[in-house]
Amino acid sequence: MRIKLTSIMVDDQTKALKFYTEVFGFLKKHEIPMGEFRWLTVTSPEGRDDLELSLEPNANPAGKAFQDAMFAQGIPLAAFEVANMEKEYARLKKLGVVFKGEPAKMGPVRIAICSDTCGNLIQLYQPA
Amino acid sequence: MKPMDQNEFERLCRARRMLAELGEDACSLREIAREVGISPFHFIRQFETLFGITPHQLRIRTRLAQAKLLLASGKHSVTEVCMEVGMSSLGSFSDLFQQRVGVAPSEYRRKARSLIVVPGMLPERLFPGCLSMMGHLPAHAFRNFQEAHPA
Repeated sequence: MRIKLTSIMVDDQTKALKFYTEVFGFLKKHEIPMGEFRWLTVTSPEGRDDLELSLEPNANPAGKAFQDAMFAQGIPLAAFEVANMEKEYARLKKLGVVFKGEPAKMGPVRIAICSDTCGNLIQLYQPA
Repeated sequence: MKPMDQNEFERLCRARRMLAELGEDACSLREIAREVGISPFHFIRQFETLFGITPHQLRIRTRLAQAKLLLASGKHSVTEVCMEVGMSSLGSFSDLFQQRVGVAPSEYRRKARSLIVVPGMLPERLFPGCLSMMGHLPAHAFRNFQEAHPA
């Protein structure tokens, strides 16, 4: 057994693909039409190309309620590691990404939380 | 762009909750902006930066999502659904639905009902759950795994 696939719910797959590739800088791995939706996954160019993040539709009202509540409570639904927080923070801000506060040190990591514009808060972290 | 402060973040989240209210008492966008204390222009701009969608578009999307849900349940007529999602003109509702969803509301209702297997549950094809689409994928979507573990 291994971890090969994880997922995050998004409110609009087209918008999500654009944001996760053009803003976060991930690469599209699979885009397979499934009726109204798509099986849509991305990988990181800085990581293994077979470790995929699925951008899942949040069409199910139960999923959407969960996602909305977590967002309003300020709780990130995913965390991505960055090599240089200040550089990444500056790069993303320039692209119009909304952050909740400046990068801050928290225990052994530096973290910053931003909106992925698809209904989620994402935590970026740089290990010490 | 400066980071968003907690106060503004909370106001925008509150506005989003208000936008999701669709019934007769639903507030207009202008009323929502006033209610959360942000000028209409700034409200639209900040809302879109945070949520990736304008308040107006979100209300339309919420209306359609709710309409799909009600139609799929099979318990309401198209007219009832139209009223329920806060639209007063059946013509406008049908046009909007047709334009965004690709089929007329009546057609969607008919198709959705035929997909429901377990009473009380939503058809998976229209409301996919977490990773549930995997079973319908072609084999090549799992190529890496197969390569890593040849039979």
